[in-house]
Amino acid sequence: MSGQDQSLGDELKRLINTGGIEVPMLPEIANKALVLAQNPDSDASEMAALIQGDQSLAAHVMRIANSVAFTPLSNLVSLQQAIARLGMATISEIALTAAIGAKMFNTPGYEEYVAGIWKHALATSLWSKEIARHGRSNVEVAFLAGLLHSIGRPAVLQAILDLAKKQNVSLSKGEVQHLENSYCQQVSQAVVHSWKMPTLVIEAISAYTDQNSDLPLGLQAAQITVGSRFATHMLKPENLDKEILLMLPALDTLNLYQDEVETLLGKTEMIKGRLEGLSS
Amino acid sequence: MSNEQFDYDVLVIGSGPAGQKSAIQAAKAGQRVGIVERDSLFGGACVHRGTIPSKTLRENALRVKHMRQNAALADFELGEDTEMHTLINRLDEVLKSHDDYMRKQIDRNNVQRIHGRASFVDNHTVKITKVSGETVDLKVNTVIIAAGSYPRNPDNIPIDHEHLFDSDSILSMLYLPSSLTVLGGGVIASEYASIFQALGVKVTMIDRYPTPLGFLDSDMTDTFVGAFKNMGGTWMGSQKVAKVYWDGISEVVTECEDGTVVRSQKLLCAAGRLANVKELQLENAGLALNERGLISVDDNLCTNVSNIYAAGDVIGPPSLASASMEQGRRAACNALGVEIGSMSQLIPAGIYSIPELSSVGLTEKQARDQHVNVLVGTAQFSEVARGQISGNTEGMLKIVADAEGKKILGVMLVGEGSTEVVHIGHMAMLCDADVDIFVESTFNFPTLAEAYRVAALEILAQRPES
Repeated sequence: MSGQDQSLGDELKRLINTGGIEVPMLPEIANKALVLAQNPDSDASEMAALIQGDQSLAAHVMRIANSVAFTPLSNLVSLQQAIARLGMATISEIALTAAIGAKMFNTPGYEEYVAGIWKHALATSLWSKEIARHGRSNVEVAFLAGLLHSIGRPAVLQAILDLAKKQNVSLSKGEVQHLENSYCQQVSQAVVHSWKMPTLVIEAISAYTDQNSDLPLGLQAAQITVGSRFATHMLKPENLDKEILLMLPALDTLNLYQDEVETLLGKTEMIKGRLEGLSS
Repeated sequence: MSNEQFDYDVLVIGSGPAGQKSAIQAAKAGQRVGIVERDSLFGGACVHRGTIPSKTLRENALRVKHMRQNAALADFELGEDTEMHTLINRLDEVLKSHDDYMRKQIDRNNVQRIHGRASFVDNHTVKITKVSGETVDLKVNTVIIAAGSYPRNPDNIPIDHEHLFDSDSILSMLYLPSSLTVLGGGVIASEYASIFQALGVKVTMIDRYPTPLGFLDSDMTDTFVGAFKNMGGTWMGSQKVAKVYWDGISEVVTECEDGTVVRSQKLLCAAGRLANVKELQLENAGLALNERGLISVDDNLCTNVSNIYAAGDVIGPPSLASASMEQGRRAACNALGVEIGSMSQLIPAGIYSIPELSSVGLTEKQARDQHVNVLVGTAQFSEVARGQISGNTEGMLKIVADAEGKKILGVMLVGEGSTEVVHIGHMAMLCDADVDIFVESTFNFPTLAEAYRVAALEILAQRPES
């Protein structure tokens, strides 16, 4: 570690430990979409009104709703229609992923990298959801926890770049990577706390990001772990082949036998389609 | 084959109540015992998906109900966004303590735990497939199948574990829903319907039979339905479900054959449970399922293959944890030739709905079918001081006696505390005591046990003059 890296790292650590790091705000629209989807008394018209309030989001939702992955053979013309066709929960997922996507972070020079992290997180959320469904466990927790499991990476990256700029320090990509790896887990936990995610989501991400502890991996954390590996295998099979995937220790926690893993992998095309839809 | 050639003298498949007790019993008889569990967690569905989680939720539902009843003491409403996790907050502790206890007991008795899926190669060889895909063939002298059950999902109910749940996934909901449709009228349906209603969820129970829990007398089920309706629940009996679907927006739609449509935020399908045997490859051992999809056993719990026994949910009703434990113990004893007393057919049934129901022996209807003339005594909890003091007035106790008004044929209760109080009647029946025992004995006052005396006095008053 270089001196610059060390000093910036110390400052970063101090900021994280004192709660001084700037945690991105959960965009209001994402927050409202989440609340509406969870509120049993809300209806499609409220969700439509919310999304219509943000033109680019409305266009995004309509584009996704009309994509082949979501509504093959149909042509949706209104948001109400899209919500009726896809459901409040799906529309909320679309709004959430659109609102807290890669564009939320200001990371000059790392835009493509952050987009990659985000795409992987999205794929993780979709796989975690299917894994949870297979195990008759909570699909909403799995989706949210999968989506946010690596939220600390772009957040800490932004903090590193901001600090470097403030201190007029030039860091190599390797140094940035090192700092990001060192602190991303703590920041992931800080973000989900700050966003007041449901207790189970916070617990799942805490357990996922704290896998070095001696505690056994919890169910939800194992779902994210496996979901994340499935996502890597799907997006970059050269980085993780099927043989290694089948040997993941977390499969044991989830009690996923080899034939069940094969069954889940059979959903790859469906997940790919949905991922394309959500990230288009 | 000599015993030395076997890897295990007894191999038990499944670690639920039946499996555990059979393994412990066999080990206590000096056998080398292995217990196979496909799940990484020990204890079966009873511990992790059924009995214990639902009863933990029930305890909190009762607290909520009591707080609502005592509005003068506490103005209480559950928040709209109450997480299910909050409502079963003690579950982790309860499960951990149960798991610790079970593991210690298994280890203390030198029973070897095997994590994997079991399937028969032949009647003396069981293949274990581990999660990693690795397999090992075990040579075993005796096998006890106690693999439990899983929810039956009818073809026309598209369970997705997101909007439409079965009894194994219902507690995975993130938030307490505003409304819930419960399909079914059996034990699981009645328990969950009343628990969620007590929590303030708008529950609609739909079943094809006119009353829920049809194996009990109608006065018992009427009391249950009355209490359920008083909490705000809706019972729709004699209804056939034509179609169920998620409307794609925010509700599950249940269409009945008579045109009635019920909409709710979530749906629970509780349409019975099936034997968990599809991975066992029973045919390789010479076994087959009966027409009800269960494993048939004789009075000794032995299957049609002499070295294979079965116990618990895989053999069918009563499908109660208490009965499964005893079956497991007896299956091991029978397999090993260990002498046991005659198995009492007198197994109490406990239904952990709100209010609870419990019974032992014959129902009034069964007694009238079998004995023609019977005498019946009842006591309403509202007539008993303890019922009034605790506000537990929605309940009753019924004693069914023979035509002489002496022999106790059955005892049934509905109301809080029923699953405990039934054991007084149970013990009296096991001792072959006359109805008079309830009149001649002194019970604590005030207690619900007093209801036994009230009901017994009613029978005594009807006794034929000798």
